[in-house]
Amino acid sequence: MKRIVFTLLITCLAVLAAVAQRRIEGRVYDPANGDPIIGATVTVKNTTVGTVTDLDGKFVITIAKNEDIISVSYTGYVSTEVVVGNRNQLDIVINQNTSILDEVVVVGYGKQIKSTLTGNIAKVSGENLKSMPVVSFEQGLQGQAAGVYVESVNGKLGGAMRIRVRGVGSINAGTEPLVVIDGIPISKDATNESGAPLNPLADFNFNDVESIEVLKDASAKAIYGSRGSNGVILITTKSGKSGKSRIEFDIQTGMSQATHKREFLNSKEYVELFSEAAYNSDLFEGADSSDSGSWSRFVRSRFNRYDGNTNWRDLKDQTDWQEQAFRKGSVSNATLSFSGGNDKVRYYASANFGKNEGILIANDLEKSGGRVNLDFAASKRLRVGVNLNVARTKLDQLSDDNAFSTPIQLVAMAPITPTRDAAGVLYDRPTTTYYNGLIDVEQGNRSIRTLRTIASVFGDYSFNAHLGLRVEAASNIYTLNDDAHFGNRTDNGNDSNGYGYSRWSQGDDYNTNAVLHWDNQYNKHAVGFDAGTEFFNSRTRRTLVVGEQFPSNDFKTLASAALITAGSSTFTGYSFLSYFGRARYNFDRKYLLNVSGRVDGSSRFGADNRYAFFPAVSAGWVLTEEDILKGNKTLSFLKIRASWGQSGNADIGNFQSRGLYDAGKYDGISTLAPSQIANPALTWEKSQEVDFGIDFGLFNNRLSGELDYYVKNTTDLLLDAPIPATTGFASQSQNIGKLRNKGVELVLNSNNLVGKFTWTTSFNIAANQNEVIALVADQQIIDNGGSRYMNVVKVGEAIGTFYGAEYAGVDPQNGDAIWYVNGPDNNGATTNDYALANSVVLGSPLPKFIGGLSNTFSYGGVTLDVRFQGQYGNKIHNSGGGFMSCNACWFDNQTTDQLDRWQKEGDITQVPQARLGYSNGDQSRSSRYLSDGSYLRLKNVSLSYQLPSRVFGKSGVRDVRIYATGTNLLTFTKYKGWDPEVTADFLASNVVYGTDFYSAPQAKTYVVGLRVGF
Amino acid sequence: MKRNISTISIVALLLLAAACDKKLDIEPAQSISEGLALSTDANVKTVLLGAYDALSEGALLGGSGVTYSELQGADGEIRWVGTYTGLRQIFNHQMAAENDDADALWKRGYTAINICNNVLEVLPVVKEADRDQVKGEALFIRAFSYFQLVRFYAKPFEIGGANTQLGIPIVLRPTRGIDASSFVARNTVKQVYDQIETDLHEAMDLLPEDNGTRASKYAAMALLARFHLQNGVYTEARELADAVIASNVFALTPTIADEFNNDENTSEDIFAVQVSDQDGDNDLVIYYSIPDFGGRDGDIEIEQKHLDLYTNGDERKDFHYEGNGALRTTKWRDQYKNIPVLRLAEMYLISAECAVRAGASGDAAYNATHTRAGLAPAGNVTLDDVLLERRLELAHEGHRMHDVKRLKGSVDGLGYNDPSLVFPIPAREISANKNLEQNEGY
Repeated sequence: MKRIVFTLLITCLAVLAAVAQRRIEGRVYDPANGDPIIGATVTVKNTTVGTVTDLDGKFVITIAKNEDIISVSYTGYVSTEVVVGNRNQLDIVINQNTSILDEVVVVGYGKQIKSTLTGNIAKVSGENLKSMPVVSFEQGLQGQAAGVYVESVNGKLGGAMRIRVRGVGSINAGTEPLVVIDGIPISKDATNESGAPLNPLADFNFNDVESIEVLKDASAKAIYGSRGSNGVILITTKSGKSGKSRIEFDIQTGMSQATHKREFLNSKEYVELFSEAAYNSDLFEGADSSDSGSWSRFVRSRFNRYDGNTNWRDLKDQTDWQEQAFRKGSVSNATLSFSGGNDKVRYYASANFGKNEGILIANDLEKSGGRVNLDFAASKRLRVGVNLNVARTKLDQLSDDNAFSTPIQLVAMAPITPTRDAAGVLYDRPTTTYYNGLIDVEQGNRSIRTLRTIASVFGDYSFNAHLGLRVEAASNIYTLNDDAHFGNRTDNGNDSNGYGYSRWSQGDDYNTNAVLHWDNQYNKHAVGFDAGTEFFNSRTRRTLVVGEQFPSNDFKTLASAALITAGSSTFTGYSFLSYFGRARYNFDRKYLLNVSGRVDGSSRFGADNRYAFFPAVSAGWVLTEEDILKGNKTLSFLKIRASWGQSGNADIGNFQSRGLYDAGKYDGISTLAPSQIANPALTWEKSQEVDFGIDFGLFNNRLSGELDYYVKNTTDLLLDAPIPATTGFASQSQNIGKLRNKGVELVLNSNNLVGKFTWTTSFNIAANQNEVIALVADQQIIDNGGSRYMNVVKVGEAIGTFYGAEYAGVDPQNGDAIWYVNGPDNNGATTNDYALANSVVLGSPLPKFIGGLSNTFSYGGVTLDVRFQGQYGNKIHNSGGGFMSCNACWFDNQTTDQLDRWQKEGDITQVPQARLGYSNGDQSRSSRYLSDGSYLRLKNVSLSYQLPSRVFGKSGVRDVRIYATGTNLLTFTKYKGWDPEVTADFLASNVVYGTDFYSAPQAKTYVVGLRVGF
Repeated sequence: MKRNISTISIVALLLLAAACDKKLDIEPAQSISEGLALSTDANVKTVLLGAYDALSEGALLGGSGVTYSELQGADGEIRWVGTYTGLRQIFNHQMAAENDDADALWKRGYTAINICNNVLEVLPVVKEADRDQVKGEALFIRAFSYFQLVRFYAKPFEIGGANTQLGIPIVLRPTRGIDASSFVARNTVKQVYDQIETDLHEAMDLLPEDNGTRASKYAAMALLARFHLQNGVYTEARELADAVIASNVFALTPTIADEFNNDENTSEDIFAVQVSDQDGDNDLVIYYSIPDFGGRDGDIEIEQKHLDLYTNGDERKDFHYEGNGALRTTKWRDQYKNIPVLRLAEMYLISAECAVRAGASGDAAYNATHTRAGLAPAGNVTLDDVLLERRLELAHEGHRMHDVKRLKGSVDGLGYNDPSLVFPIPAREISANKNLEQNEGY
């Protein structure tokens, strides 16, 4: 109502003032390509008279006699003012905004000029990901956005990636950010139920990415309400641009290898160490080594067993089992894209094909896909479009890190064991120490095929220059087929003449939203409102058939299984319904204010607690717009901003609030038993976050940066609260406990050299401190580590803190492993009885700092990109140490450092006396197996050469570029394991970080490529 | 007009959104509510079957009931050579409070107990004609679970003693929510034994003589006989064992080999865990057997010291085989086979032992198993003879550690009541419930 009064008033005044008027016609275009600018705002300066340009970039405006200046603005372009003079026809050029501070960023349900932002959003341009020889975009994101921690849990292809925005945000609910591709949230739920989790985003072709925006602070992400608390990653794919059609072709090929390998004993060392260990055990028991039951006899009988058709006494027959696990990998990728458009239609279409042979045997990934992004003007007011993406991925997956069949576990085999017998048949137990995983390669295969379609349609309707409505409907449909067959000598199939299963999953997600937006400018007051509603629905159906008894290993599908041993079909689903609103205000782009709120409802909560409200408010002040600083050459930009907001987390099981009974079976009959204890009061986990930030630009923005401080308090944690198992349940979902993440982020971008030789640097570093403030009353710790793993949740410490016995080395007198007692009143006392050593906090698996540094040099057509990424201050636990580095406690081959074992009185070493079959320091849960996990990695080096355009003349070839890229080329770390970027895939959870268990190292990849543009 | 359009579209959007509210109602497909599960006769009976399922889990009777006792009492007769830390710690008498197996057994035991308590709570829902039987079965399973737990987590029952040492918490009501009463403290060993005895007596009276593969009157009697052997009430034990034998419902199989690796109950089985390729756990095969038969790597090896106990010609000695470089027991060789839990041979041996202890002749009962093993009948058997016969007949069946404890023997130089032969209360449990006291040495 106010608005109408206001408008009328202004109009009356204008009419009174403008006795004489004249009509001006004009056209607005981009000088770079000559394309008309559609929808640019054209206003008469210091009035409210305005219009927008049409599809040809044309406009008509009426101005009063005494007015002479027209200003033109358009998102992403520099606002321009034109003096009309006595012309009636105007050709106005406006230039794309290339300044870092004035770039446009994608925000939730919209776009905004960066300088007017009041929240913290990290933007990574698609250019930074282009042509990287990695499987999924997250690997490209690593080290590029401040405060965004990215980890591939191991080096297996297609495996899970973990992203944590500003620390670990929850103990039991999800901790992954919400990923939204062109408006549709992609559920990152593991898409398979057996084996190591998969990464659903591996299907996505990151060469289609225009930009990735990571919404980090509450004001930026609160618009995503209940799903925003872990941050939001918005992926925008490329769209066509008006103008000439472009074709781009990119092909690359290369090879890969492990970043690092460990060293294990050879035959001579193995026989020596284990003979010694057996002898020591006899001494320890006071037994005679020549007794039939002695350890010394036993060890020789084992050597005889393990050496197959060779003779261990020769000490010359060697198998380097580690080498059997690895191979030289290969990478090849090809992408083709077309883009272009005219004033009515814009298009972007692409096709991609990639093939990866992993660094581990039998681990391959093939992906292909296509995309069409199309939008067109249906009328002067309506623009409609469709984004369609189909992708096909085939992954030959390995078993998880905990399986004997996973290649890395081959290292446990004795070096005296040959791989094959005289007839060329692979040895298995009893000749091999454990199941020989090479049999899985020869006789087994597990292929996961995913077909995914992500489609969205949208319509943008502008009622007038100020009011618009955008409606989007999107769906993400996938089918996943996980087929496995294991032959009659494999671990799975050797007792049943082969074993196989076929698993199908179908995911069917859809999302609709409608947002009404209104923007206007009153003199220096810019005001905007958005109001919207959204509905998201996800359904998953799975079926499974398991069979045994195959006629021969040649039959791999279940049609040939004589015995069907299991089958199942399941359904699950969840939905969200949301309403949201946002108001923006700025005065002369100097004082900025943003308020938003969202109401979310979810099927995951009980009817009484279904809805919650998530508000946010933020403000900014651009000091360089003040007269005193305006035009200052040194301090070219300075903005301070602050935000507060609340976001939520509903990433829990679909029916977690209810008291449930599940079916089971016994003796061929159905059974029922309680599976979950009810908590009808269960509700949202909430995060309150404050953020203070400074954005600055120096020396005409040659050097720019951002500095942020934030505190994020998460309360009402959706906790699987441990309850006494005497109730019949081990845990109950409760809203209890508190968690805090606070930290500092710094981003610096610098154009060090401009001109013919350019050098730009971009640097980011972030410190995050995670602390568990409270758990269930009286509860200090949640410890699910058992005897092998050490990650716990403990009040006062970071999530996943390592908690166990503190190793004190070796007693020089007798070679016993000793630990600090760490009791309440025994300072520094040690014990050789592990059970008497109290558990203490040993360190955190979460880094104190993460960061990245990239430098780009270019001269003529040559460009060199060098990017480092690293983390500092975290620890890694080698939980396999109790097997591979246990001073010959059992027959697993040992790492060479175990040769430093204690042998005689007075020996000073960290490796206890070798005693076969006895625990002498082999307890995994001790700081003996903990080490510094900091690393610095040369993540990416890319050298490219652009051929001079004159070479091609008028052939139509626009751009030819030859490049060579390497990833993970160098890793600097003190960690002695395979690779410091590690978490065992079968353990990876909110709580478990930095725990290594025969986890595959990352791949070091080199490719050469060619990019041609027409 | 423009304003009208926008107003209309806003209203339309809100209407659209409101219509979606119903879409927030999504019901689970693989579960039903607690209320529904406990509200009908048929459902409650199905929940009772759930208690059998829980009892038969690998962490309870489907495996660990045997392996834990045998590994603890190994004394050089068997050897653990596998990689599982939890079992290795049990074998080495070096258990940590975080031991995975100690955690699993505790959880499983009380899961079964809670299901029984749920069934017992809603008995009025069950048809009157079936009520006694349902109640008897639930009491049997609850008693069995308590008996398994108390023998591992508490210091041994001292025959003739006050038994005020800490037992395990007794929980007799179902859990429907979490409140202060959920944080229970440990009862004494005596209280737990009393509860087991009460439950089994009642079960014995309520259960039918024939109940298929489920708990019958004889199963309750057999378990009570075993119970009384453990708490030293030998006359009761003997009467119960004799009554089971005299019922003539059961008969020893012709050979020991006939009693094991079966798909169905044998004539000798009083109660057995039912296992098929479809359901039921036989974790014993995983550890005792080898890959050729569906086992893991032959994690438990039988040592010569054990074989030396047998006389030549004893068929039970030959009921071992050489596989993957070591000696194995044939009792747990094949996968997907039933696990005999209470079998008639045990009744004969209880009868024989109690008879000899009472100064009577145990010859007849002794010879029942002795001659089946292909050996000549013996006369005037002594207590030592019976105990050796028991050890051979019931070898690898989970009696070892419990027998050492009741006979006040020793293993690996540790006395029968050494704290390291008692499981820790799981560390997880101690931290979740401050009312629980930890065992000595942890």
